Order: sequence, then C-alpha cells, then structure tokens
Amino acid sequence: MGRLRAPLFITRHVLIALVVGGVGGVLFMTFLLEFDHYTSSNAFCTTCHSMSYADESYRQTVHYNSASGVRASCGDCHVSEGVFAATWDHAIGSKDLFKQIFGPDYDDPVINALHLPEAAFAARKWFQKRDSATCKRCHTLEAIQGKRADTAAIHREETDGKSCIDCHYNLVHRQVPDASTFKREAWNRMVEEEFALEPGTAERLMSAH
Amino acid sequence: MPPVVLSDSFRRVLFLSVFVLAFPAAAEKVKLDPSHWGHEAGDACVSCHTKSSSGLAQQWQDSAHAAAGVNCMDCHQAERADVDAIEHEGQIIATIVSPKDCGRCHAKEFDEQQGSVHAEAYSIIEDRLPALARNVGGSAMQAASCDQCHGSRVKVRGDGTLDPATWPNSGIGRINPDGSKGSCSSCHGRHRFSKAQAREPEACVRCHSGPDSPDKEIFEASKHGMVYAAHRDEMNLDAAEWIAGRDYTAAPTCVTCHMGAAGKLPSTHDVGLRNVWSLNTPVSKRQFLVIFEDGAKMELPSDETAPRRGTEMARADGTVGVVKAVATPERRRQAMTLVCVECHGKGFTEGFMRQFDAVVELYNTKFGEPARAIMAGLYERGLLTPTAFDEPIEFTYWELWHDEGARGRHGASMMSPNHAWWEGMYLVGRNFYARFLPEARAAAGEQADALVDAVLRADGQHQWLEDPTQRSAILGFAPQEAE
Repeated sequence: MGRLRAPLFITRHVLIALVVGGVGGVLFMTFLLEFDHYTSSNAFCTTCHSMSYADESYRQTVHYNSASGVRASCGDCHVSEGVFAATWDHAIGSKDLFKQIFGPDYDDPVINALHLPEAAFAARKWFQKRDSATCKRCHTLEAIQGKRADTAAIHREETDGKSCIDCHYNLVHRQVPDASTFKREAWNRMVEEEFALEPGTAERLMSAH
Repeated sequence: MPPVVLSDSFRRVLFLSVFVLAFPAAAEKVKLDPSHWGHEAGDACVSCHTKSSSGLAQQWQDSAHAAAGVNCMDCHQAERADVDAIEHEGQIIATIVSPKDCGRCHAKEFDEQQGSVHAEAYSIIEDRLPALARNVGGSAMQAASCDQCHGSRVKVRGDGTLDPATWPNSGIGRINPDGSKGSCSSCHGRHRFSKAQAREPEACVRCHSGPDSPDKEIFEASKHGMVYAAHRDEMNLDAAEWIAGRDYTAAPTCVTCHMGAAGKLPSTHDVGLRNVWSLNTPVSKRQFLVIFEDGAKMELPSDETAPRRGTEMARADGTVGVVKAVATPERRRQAMTLVCVECHGKGFTEGFMRQFDAVVELYNTKFGEPARAIMAGLYERGLLTPTAFDEPIEFTYWELWHDEGARGRHGASMMSPNHAWWEGMYLVGRNFYARFLPEARAAAGEQADALVDAVLRADGQHQWLEDPTQRSAILGFAPQEAE
C-alpha cells in the first residue's frame, strides 16, 4: 500500500499559509457580512442624531408599521443586496459619516431641514440608477394587488419603462418636491416659518458652510 | 372737409352703446387654432386616470372638452418656474387650473370675469374677515365656510404641496398661485365643465342662499322660480347658444338675467355688470362701473363724480389704473331691462323697477342711514370700542343691514313678497325699533338725545313714535269708540 504524499511544493510553510489564509478568508467574509448586516440596521443609522429626523417620518409610514408585521429597515431600502454591493455602498456611504463629522451641524433640526432636499435628490438618483432594485427585494410588480380595484391594473398596464421610484417618491420621508420643480427660496421660507426664524436666516445658515 | 370732433362725453355714450348693445348676441366660440391643444402626453394621463380616479376621467370623457380633443395636459400643463408646478409621471403640471389657464383658449370669458364682483369676492373681504372668521368664530371656520364661497388665497408651501388651510377651494374669488383671481370650476365643475350645469340655478345657490343672501329661497318663492320649476324640461340648457327669447322662453334662471344673452344683449361673465344697486352694504348706493385699460373693473358709488376717460385712478388694491370707460347706473339698468323685455312689456318692466327702487330707497332713508349715523356718533364719542363685535349692539347693527336689510332688498329685487317683508323689512323694523334703538340709547347714556333721538327727529319717517295714542286692531285690541 502506497502512502498518500502531498505534492512536493506543499511545504510546511505553504500548508500553514493555506490554513491561515483560508481561515482568514472565511473570517474576513464573515466579518463583511456581519459588518454589512449591522451597519444596515436602524440602530446603527440612528446612532447619529441627524438621522433621527429621517427616522421620525419613517415611523409614521407603512414601511415601519405594516399590518403583516413586515418591517423594512434603513438598509433594506438604502443598501444594495449582496455582500459586495452592500460593502461598496457602505464604503461610498462613509462620505456621509465624513460630512457628519466635518460638515454642517446636521444634528440641528434647522440645518437638517435646509439640507434635506439635496439628500433626497441624491437618494432618488441612487434608486433610479439601480432601477429601484432594493424595492424589488420585497415587491414583485406582477404580484401587486393593492386595496383599490385599479391598483393591480395600473401596475400591469401603466408601468412600462418606469421604475418604482419614478412614481413612489415622498413615500417614507418628509415631502420634498422633484428636483425639476424644487424652489430653494420657497423651501427656505417654509423652514423659517416652521422654526419661527427671521426671514433670511436660512440663507445665512446655508452660506456658513 | 374738417375732421369730425366728438366730445368726450359723446364718445363715452357711443362706446357704451356698443358695449351694451353689441352684436351678435352669441356665445363666444374659441378662436384659437386647434393645433394649440391635444397635448401628446394627454393619452397617458387618461389611460392611468381612468383606473386611478375613474369618476373624474369619466366626467372629462363626457365633456365638450373631450369631444374637441382637449386633454388633461392642455389644462394642467405648467412651467417649471410656476409657483405651484409639480412633477407628475414625467410631466410638469399644476393641480390648480386657474382662470388664466382657461383664458389661454377662452380669452373673452377670462377678460369679462377679471375685475368682476365674482373675481374680487375674496379681495373685497380679505381685510374684513378676521373680525368674524377669527374673533367671533375661529380660523378653522374660514376654510370651511367663508372661503368656500368667497375663495381663498391659495398658499403653496415650500415643499410644493398646497396648504390644506387654503386648498381644496372652489370659491369664486379664489386668489390663485399664478396671481389670477377667480375659479371657473366654481360654477362649471372641474372635469365635466358643463354649460348646462352653470346655467342652472343650482350652480349659484351653493353660495347665494342663507340669511344674508337668500337668493335661492327668493327665486324659488318668486313667479320666475315658479315657472322654472314647472317648465324645467323646456329650458334647452344644453344649447350651444342660449339666448333668452330665442333659444328658450320657458323661464329665467339666475344666469338669464345676470349673465345670459337676451335678444340683442350679449352674454357676459361679469355677473355684476347689470346691477344698479349695491344691495349688501349698510346703505345701498347706485353704482358706476369703471372699466380700466388693463381690463380691471371697479364699482364706484354714483354720488361721487364719475371719472373721465383717460384719467388715472387709484384702485382698491392700491394700484393705479387708466380709465377706459364708465358705465352709469342708468346704462346698467338699461342692460338688465333688455333681458326683461324679452318676456315682459316695457311699462310692466319699468313699473317693477320703480317698485324695487322704492324699497331700496325706503330702507336707505328710514333705517340704513339713520342706523349708520347713530353708530358713527357712538364710535366718535368713544362710547363704543373700535373692536368689532365686542359689544352686543354691533351684532344688532350687523344683522340689521347685513342679514335682515339684505334680505328685504334682495326680496324686492327678485320678487319674493315674503322675503321683502316678513323675512326682510319687517325684521329690519322690529330690530331697529325694539333692539337697536334701546341698545343705542343705553350705550349713549346721557348723550342719547343728541346721538340717537336727534337723528330720528331729522327724518320724518319716525314721527309715528311721537304719538302714543294710535290704538290698532292689529294686536287684537280694537280702537276705542270715539267719545
């Protein structure tokens, strides 16, 4: 009986490297998965106070409170599916963290409201670019029935060439007009009225950054 | 041959003759070329809205607009820069279709309604509103009541939505985001946009009813309302043109007298054009109608000097306008009379107008003017606070002219004997003698003779109060036998 022999190039060092690399790879992928999972959670997002404003409006919507108990978390909508895409989104998303630390004081409700439109436009672009991929994690166009008689027919017959986000913006967070009709001055006046600020305060706060 | 020089006044008369007796008396056809409508995106709107809001889509399907190929986008399209523009399914649209939007095709109607008492219905009362709508009532009442008829100043919020305190609203004097005033849908509806519907009294009585303008009740109680109810099916309401005396003769509706074409009189979307009197004021005035170069109009009491053509005049909103023409009360009466004589004799018509004028003059001289003089005296001497409605007499005075006084005058103008007297002038008299005068004397205290009784003495119509011995059987106590 011949003994099984490892190829000659598998030396002790190579063997150790393979084992360490393999275990390391598994650990690394596990880390990524866990990292993506954790950083997609509501708890992680709302550790920044600035995100509590987005959280507030989201809690009023059916994406937070649904009859069936299905709840979409921040990451379910705002982070792509798959470990690589999710990691990429988080890497890109770290610019938000950078801006939170070095940019305007987003924790201030006034500053937050003033900068919200640009954030909304960016998020909508993100959805459009991905053809509303994260919506489709849960929603299947062909299966949409709706409560009203015509909802199903509309989703069958009126959606050619359209992506979910084209119709369903202003669904979860505070209402912001489409970029094409957005009027900065009117938005600023609204925020001033809301927080009982002198007219012109908004422009002053915006130009401070 | 020397040129013919026309004096200003002659030219004015000439212009107004044309203005009142214009030919032809026909509904204005849209003059715009059809290439201006039929927006290419319209089909997509209809396809989806037939499912998402089938009621309004069906109403549009049944409309003359649909038949002419006018689609959703033709009316709702907007420019990005418009205050109320929103993105919707890839199109830039506005929810509100304002008279200015309708005027893209319906230029004549838009011009006529601009500056009319309808279009100005909110502007006229905007600064008077708070006393009742906020102090006596509360701000929730403004959107639900005042603004439903008068219109609202529609506010577009910074997030592009229409402020629910001001919208939805179909008030006739609505101030739209584009600055235009009015709401065509107030009478015509939003998507069916029916001529027939606007010609029905029901289009008017949504607002013209109730204690201060019971035109619904008055019309129903009048001979006009009586024949309308009996011959409703002979009204030819769907006719393209609707000329009284030609297209229908069964009965008049509100539109017939106040807006509609009759004989040679053209139709108009200026509802107040043919009205001589202001009937909803503390004291009624015969009114000039001043028409400005820019299409705006203004009522002016006829006891003021009529402005000359070409002169500049300050208007209610503070802007200055150049006077284009002035319609005298007599001219306006002439226009109204042209409607009457399609069904009535001239003598009959003049006799009726005299009866009506006499009631207004009686109200003015016996109640309206003395009551106002008494109130003015109480305010001048500081016996009443300037704040409206914080003293009971202010409610008494308000109801005297605004409710009871308006009912009596409207009742006489449109032939409801009940409203002219029992619902109107009888209540004015009861209020004046049994509530207003005692309250005024109480407020005046030691100055009652100078502020109250002196006013009554100056006018012979209250002389009967000086004779306490006139027993009458009306109260069930027979006059005593003469000794």
